[in-house]
Amino acid sequence: MRESRGAPNYEMQMSSLSIKNLHVSIGDKEIIRGLTLEIPKGEVHAIMGPNGSGKSTLSKAIGGHPDYIVTGGEVLLDGDDILGLDPDARARKGLFLAFQYPMEIPGVSNANFLRAALNARQPEGEEIEATEFYAQMYAEMDKLEMARTFTARSVNEGFSGGEKKRNEILQMAMLKPAYAVLDETDSGLDIDALRIVSAGVNALRGPNLGILLITHYQRLLDYIVPDVVHVMVEGRIVRSGGKELALELEERGYDFIKDDITEPSLA
Amino acid sequence: MSTATENQIDIDRTRGDFSYPESHTFDAGTGLTKGTVDYISKVKGEAEWIREFRHRALEIFRSKPMPTHWASKDLENIVFENIRYYLANGQKPTRSWDDVPDDVKRTFERLGIPEQERKFLAGVEAQFDSEAVYSNIKAAVGEQGVIFCGSTEGLREHPEIFRKWFGKVIPTGDNKFSALNSAVFSGGSFIYVPPGVKVKHPLQAYFRINAENFGQFERTLIIADEGSEVMYMEGCTAPKFETATLHSAVVELVALKGAKIQYVTVQNWSANVFNLVTKRAIAHEEAEVKWIDCNIGSRLTMKYPGVVLKGRKARGEVISIALASDGQHQDTGAKMIHAAAETTSNIVSKSISVGTGRSTYRGLVHIPKHLKGCKNNTECDALLINSQSRTDTYPAITVRGTGNSSQHEASVSQISAEQIFYMQQRGLTEAQAMSLSVNGFVNDLVRQFPMEYSVELKRLIDLEMEGSVG
Amino acid sequence: MNPAILESEEVLTTNAASILSAGPVSPEQAEAWEKFTALPMPVRTDEAWRFANVKDLDLGGYVPAQPVDDATRDELLTRSMGLASIAGRMVFANDQLLVQETLGDSLRQKGVIWLPLDQAAAENPELFRKHFMREEAILGGQKFAALHASQVRAGTFLYVPRGVEIDLPIEAFHWEHGANGSVFPHTLIIAEDMAKVTLIDYYESAVPDAPALACAVNDLWLGAGASVTYVCVQNWSRKAHSFQLNSTVVGRDAHSKSLFAQLGGRHVRSESISHLRGQGGRSDMLAVTVAEGAQEVDARTFQIHEVPNTQSDLLYKNSLDDTARTIFAGLIRVDPGAHRTDAYQKVRNLLLSDEAEANSAPGLEIEADDVRCTHGATSGQIEQEELFYLLSRGIPKKDAQRLIVFGFLNEVIERLGNEPVQEKLRELVRARFSE
Repeated sequence: MRESRGAPNYEMQMSSLSIKNLHVSIGDKEIIRGLTLEIPKGEVHAIMGPNGSGKSTLSKAIGGHPDYIVTGGEVLLDGDDILGLDPDARARKGLFLAFQYPMEIPGVSNANFLRAALNARQPEGEEIEATEFYAQMYAEMDKLEMARTFTARSVNEGFSGGEKKRNEILQMAMLKPAYAVLDETDSGLDIDALRIVSAGVNALRGPNLGILLITHYQRLLDYIVPDVVHVMVEGRIVRSGGKELALELEERGYDFIKDDITEPSLA
Repeated sequence: MSTATENQIDIDRTRGDFSYPESHTFDAGTGLTKGTVDYISKVKGEAEWIREFRHRALEIFRSKPMPTHWASKDLENIVFENIRYYLANGQKPTRSWDDVPDDVKRTFERLGIPEQERKFLAGVEAQFDSEAVYSNIKAAVGEQGVIFCGSTEGLREHPEIFRKWFGKVIPTGDNKFSALNSAVFSGGSFIYVPPGVKVKHPLQAYFRINAENFGQFERTLIIADEGSEVMYMEGCTAPKFETATLHSAVVELVALKGAKIQYVTVQNWSANVFNLVTKRAIAHEEAEVKWIDCNIGSRLTMKYPGVVLKGRKARGEVISIALASDGQHQDTGAKMIHAAAETTSNIVSKSISVGTGRSTYRGLVHIPKHLKGCKNNTECDALLINSQSRTDTYPAITVRGTGNSSQHEASVSQISAEQIFYMQQRGLTEAQAMSLSVNGFVNDLVRQFPMEYSVELKRLIDLEMEGSVG
Repeated sequence: MNPAILESEEVLTTNAASILSAGPVSPEQAEAWEKFTALPMPVRTDEAWRFANVKDLDLGGYVPAQPVDDATRDELLTRSMGLASIAGRMVFANDQLLVQETLGDSLRQKGVIWLPLDQAAAENPELFRKHFMREEAILGGQKFAALHASQVRAGTFLYVPRGVEIDLPIEAFHWEHGANGSVFPHTLIIAEDMAKVTLIDYYESAVPDAPALACAVNDLWLGAGASVTYVCVQNWSRKAHSFQLNSTVVGRDAHSKSLFAQLGGRHVRSESISHLRGQGGRSDMLAVTVAEGAQEVDARTFQIHEVPNTQSDLLYKNSLDDTARTIFAGLIRVDPGAHRTDAYQKVRNLLLSDEAEANSAPGLEIEADDVRCTHGATSGQIEQEELFYLLSRGIPKKDAQRLIVFGFLNEVIERLGNEPVQEKLRELVRARFSE
């Protein structure tokens, strides 16, 4: 069994994305209600939960979306609290969100967008070299079976659901985050697209990347096999376990867990 | 800033904001009377017909009311009595920068003009207040018979061509400001391209206001003879003065059968300039006229470049970008008069309003009866950056008869908070995200500018967007 | 012979019935008359009258319409053919009430007021004054609003109390009869919170080509959550001057739908204003115009978004034949702070002859940034391919054209969402084509 499961050992584990007793509201409504979770670098954790359990709110709150108000708790990235940082500063510290609904940015080409994002990570006054950039981008695009013409198209504009998700993974590959939160990455994907996107994510797995997969369905976890599965209900983690927990959920539905809960054991 | 962009044509407002002490040999004084007009005409040594033309224009100017029943009331803040209508040193434009007086030369060097000329231009004319101080055309272009000089010189040296077209595209009484220009005009470019000659590189003019309380009234006339092609670019700057400055040009283009004219403007006047310009072209059979117009500076710009599609299959196009920053009003648009069958016109206008800036699009499309196969397409998109920003769209379209079609579409949008968050999540700052979105919004139009301008334009937009967030 | 309306003040005093006071002329009417005479006639350079043939606005020669005789009365009643199922009906001729078929008892018990204008003014003076011509004509028709206010004698007043829903439509016929007569129909609908009603006005001339002046006002007021559908079929004589001023005030979460069918008249001026005044409010503004002969149909519209979170959607379609002219000048205005406005405006012109002329001036004035506003204007003719397809099926050219034009206009009619009313409108448009 892994140490990361259950109550984490904070002193030992500095290389992690650590969420402690997090409370998040939208407007007056509290959505995340005392959530604690730790994703050590190198591991893949999945959060599963029924609709409305607050899964997407969690990813937006970690990313620093202005509409999501953190009313309590901490989010530590390798030991540093990031809640006081603007979204872009969080990103530059190594946080990446793969959006459930990636935004369209008319008129801004994929290549320019990626370059701007990479340049934002360079020291003041320095820019990445163009040929190197393109070589790297094409290599990653090949892995994701993306046509070269994607580079000239506006970011996500007119993309199919599958194309948008592949584009998210491409950005992740290029920006090389330390921690990635993948929000319902499987939504809108047919089986072929799911396979390609999953292969892309798996290729990025390794000791230098911690991944949090947020998903409603178990099927994604057949392709991206998690180290740990957490179940989220009403803004809290109510159960954690190995990948077999996902199968159990798939079989028995979320209700069996809901019925189980008397007091949130892990909150 | 990368060195690559620094070498481009300078249209950076911060770099344009300087002035040198003035000492003018010829100064028409303050205010506008018959005497002012006579003074200008005498200094320029003009023919009697021109003096009469000016006098008649002055009368028309006086008789016409301000167009405030449809236009901005801000026009009422122009005090014609406080303006100086002619300032010059009496020198003729030189063919060499070495002969340009030092202080004036310094101005244009700071603006990067001589360097541009060496790099990619077929000819340059530089106007300082009322008169051109430098005018040169590459020998190879001149040898093809292309004429490129100041309008003062053009009137003197080539009256046979000049007079034939002068005031024919834009009659004196077209509007109050075309009448004003006709009374006191000075400077501007005169271009004649002989039949079949295709000028490969752009001809460039640069208009500089150096003096306070000054009105610049240049008059440009471009004639592209049958089957010829020419691209003309103009840039303009002025220092930031406390008092209002007036720029009121008249630009007439004539594209004869099969000719092509592209006219590129990057207007970056300082925020005290009233920029009230009348621009119109006549396109003869199968001719093409394209106005590419970018308005970034000024206090109030009113400019509606037009094309009279006079010959069969003529084509007119207006591509326009306007950026209205705090306190600015960009009142721009286009006019397309279809006067022959199978003529087509295309208008694409994009505006960005920042802070308390206001962008207005006014369009006129006229397809009168008994024509067939005329087509117009108009697209206007407005982007609003802040909650106090304003945009207006006022098109007017008349179509008579069957066999013609017109289509107008306009939309207003803003950059959504979700888009900004998405980009921030990828590591861009809010300001970078904003700039990227704005550049994305105008990107398809910026691409139509010559390379040297489009790089600079993007940089300028970045500059204007700084501090607009929040 | 009565004096012409515009030439003498006497005309006012000859209007025996005054709706605002017991006396023959109320102070309000006298004031309105003064305003009318003081305001200048529109001139070509007025932006609000751009494109309009203002020279054609000479109203000299019109006289107040006289009561109709019994034979005419019977004839007009038979000709007042509306829907099969209605909740109520009034018929006027020359601004005189001919018949009033009142609403069922149950609605009356619920507090619905459905009365001729003069009676409503007398019986419910407070309610009447609170809403009667409260919104300014701001699209150029001020002079004609004043004329209406000074001359109005007849019309319908409909008050639907809170929560009352009237399922069947209510109808009003306004006939104009005789040469050079003038009529001033008025419609005032007040729908309180959560009330629902549909009203149809039919403007008709007894003689299709007698000169006439009609100057109508129809005002709608919607309380919170109210739903009002208003249809006005203008089918005055082909020699009539028709002025029509509409204002609609849309309250919170209320939904107004209006459709103007412009079929008759020689010179037609229509002004329609929607004030989106309550959050969540929505206004659908629809119009179809069949312009033929020398008709000029001049429509001015204004979608004013005064508060955040409101919607408006305008669709005007014109078919033009012969030497007809149409003008559409519309403006979407988003006031400062009226964020999350969603406004749409579209005018489409179908030109059927080489002498017809369509003028379009769709406008936007946006002073809030979080908005979605779009407008479009197109002018074109029947697609040759489309026509050819119908011809290839053996349909004669004239019929094929009519079919296409009908389909073009029907797209607007179908937006009403009330099948019997839609069918009635289709019938009237078809009748117009077969003239």
